Amino acid sequence: MGLKLENVSKKFVGKQAVDNISFEVDKPGVFGLLGTNGAGKTTTIRMLLGIIKKDTGDITWNGKSVERKNVNFGYLPEERGVYPKTKIYDQLMYFAKLKGMKNSDADTAIKKWSKVLKVEEYLQMPAEKLSKGNQQKVQFMTSIIHDPELIVLDEPFSGLDPVNTEILKNVIIDLVSQDKYIIMSSHQMASIEEFCTDILILNKGKTVLKGNLKEIKDTYKANRLEISANKNIDKFIEEFNMNIEFSKNNEYSIKIDSEEKAHQLLEKLVSNNIEINKFEIKKPTLNDIFIEKVGG
Amino acid sequence: MNDLKTVIGFTIKDMVKRKSFIISTIIILLIIILGFNIPNIIKLFNNDSTRDTKDKILIVDSSNLFEGTLNTINSMDLGYEVEVSSENIEFNKIKERIENKEIDEAIIIEKTDTNYKLRYIVEDMTMISSMPEDLMTAINTIYTNMQISKLGLTQEQLQSLAPNFEYSVEQTQEQKVSGNVMAIMLLSIVLFYAIYFCAYQVSSSITTEKTSKIMETLVTSTSPRTIVIGKTIGIGIVGLLQVCLFVAVALISAKLFLEPGLIESVLDMSKMTPYLAIITILYFILGYFAYALLYALTGSTVSKPEDIQSANTPVAILAVIGFYLSYFTMMNPTSELNLFAAMFPISSPFCMPFRIMMGIASTSEVLISIAILVITILVIAKVAIKIYSNAILNYGTKMTFRDMVKIYKDKNN
Repeated sequence: MGLKLENVSKKFVGKQAVDNISFEVDKPGVFGLLGTNGAGKTTTIRMLLGIIKKDTGDITWNGKSVERKNVNFGYLPEERGVYPKTKIYDQLMYFAKLKGMKNSDADTAIKKWSKVLKVEEYLQMPAEKLSKGNQQKVQFMTSIIHDPELIVLDEPFSGLDPVNTEILKNVIIDLVSQDKYIIMSSHQMASIEEFCTDILILNKGKTVLKGNLKEIKDTYKANRLEISANKNIDKFIEEFNMNIEFSKNNEYSIKIDSEEKAHQLLEKLVSNNIEINKFEIKKPTLNDIFIEKVGG
Repeated sequence: MNDLKTVIGFTIKDMVKRKSFIISTIIILLIIILGFNIPNIIKLFNNDSTRDTKDKILIVDSSNLFEGTLNTINSMDLGYEVEVSSENIEFNKIKERIENKEIDEAIIIEKTDTNYKLRYIVEDMTMISSMPEDLMTAINTIYTNMQISKLGLTQEQLQSLAPNFEYSVEQTQEQKVSGNVMAIMLLSIVLFYAIYFCAYQVSSSITTEKTSKIMETLVTSTSPRTIVIGKTIGIGIVGLLQVCLFVAVALISAKLFLEPGLIESVLDMSKMTPYLAIITILYFILGYFAYALLYALTGSTVSKPEDIQSANTPVAILAVIGFYLSYFTMMNPTSELNLFAAMFPISSPFCMPFRIMMGIASTSEVLISIAILVITILVIAKVAIKIYSNAILNYGTKMTFRDMVKIYKDKNN
């Protein structure tokens, strides 16, 4: 059950935009779609929602094709857009009605979400008078106002200030708690790590990594030591043939081959009466994994 | 169906609320009201200056050729107040009197060796090439009458000299055109602009959606077909209501401000039947749909507002060809070319209603013309919706005709 993409491909003139990708979202939660610019994320999303036709493969929701009649979905496109001259309330009502809502239900939902997203005061204003961030929140409202079961968010946080990012994050957390299926594409690895249970990394249209985020991270050994001492410890690090990635005010980020070596360094420092304020062995972040997979 | 209603409703509401729409409607209404008041305005100015004060003319007949009969011009109601002088007044004296505004102009009758010469003297001859026709005719008539009266003819003989003919025009062709062709051509221009500008709105509405990047949200909310048809119907309804409002205001203005009978003298009101009104509205709707769908097609191929003009040019050229085909053949309404214009779908909306108005269109001709137009609309709709569905997410450069053909032929789309 849920969303399933099998061997999906799409070629534009002279370019294989998406090459034989497959993934499944079989339980509620946030699925992360990652990739560099032009990796094929938006094309995948557009095929998934039927905006553009796929060349090959199957895309199904609960065994049926993904169409408006088979699945109640909401979509926040990467291309942000609102009707500039139309009042916010009128355009929200328009989209809510197109999604099959009755006037009274749509009115209730508009009032509810405008309060949550803090755009209540702009409802009677034309969109062109709103800041870009507020326009983006309005567009986000159009993707969730009709209470969809599948929500596709293409770069939902890009262009938002920290306050609005936090508001949006809280809404997404709330939607996950309501067992919604969310597909999210983002460049912000921190957001993906925060929300996503499963991920797929695309590079030049091809899948380079996919699976459960925790399991993926578990396959990676610890590769970094973060240590903070009361004095300079450069000579001890050199003694252990370790590379300093970053150091400032006796705080170090060091590349390590094994956890054992890190512990040996710690013992050495303690035995030399060096006071250690911080000692943390770290696994690669999603950012590290992403750069390793697509950046090289 | 509900989506279609929603799109139509939103389009209508969005359009009538626009400031540009409200302002342009008010301006056109004012122009209509002002237009029907032009005769009154002219009258007002004439009353103030020229009409009340007749042109004062001094006629110098020093050789007494007219034997004092020239004063009869005053009773002819030609707008002249004549002062006849038998004294020989010099040019400089006349000039002085004109400059002092005592007289407006003067005529000096001079005897030459073989004939008489009439010198017409005005202050400024920039806009005048010769003596006014009515004045010349009046002077000639007075002279002729004076000479005839000297012949001592009886009343009957005098009457037989004056022509009293009745005139009529008849034609050899069986098809008879009724109504004033010029007035009908004027109405044809109005219908053309009504159809053209309403249809143009569809293109600009679609481009606005593309440039504001709302298209993706829209096409995942309803089908492209619903958007194209809903928009076209919505703008069409607003356009039709706007035209009806203009016509209503024009009719009311004509009743209120024009002299009774003036409209009837230009247009044969007996031809303005409910049948004609229905047919005209039907052709407006069909013509609008044909052009609006073509504009939907071109509007969806551009992504920048500055490209819209060049993308719409082919449709504009088509519309102008259609209009002129209808317009020029209307000068010869019984020609085969006019019949062709009434059948050809790009010109029939501007032509057929007026063939009916002129009483030269048979019912079968009307039905065939409507059928051709409906089939054309269905074909355009099919192509336009297909191109629209695939072109709306093209945010790159303007699509070429070849791109459109490729999209249409691509079975995968």
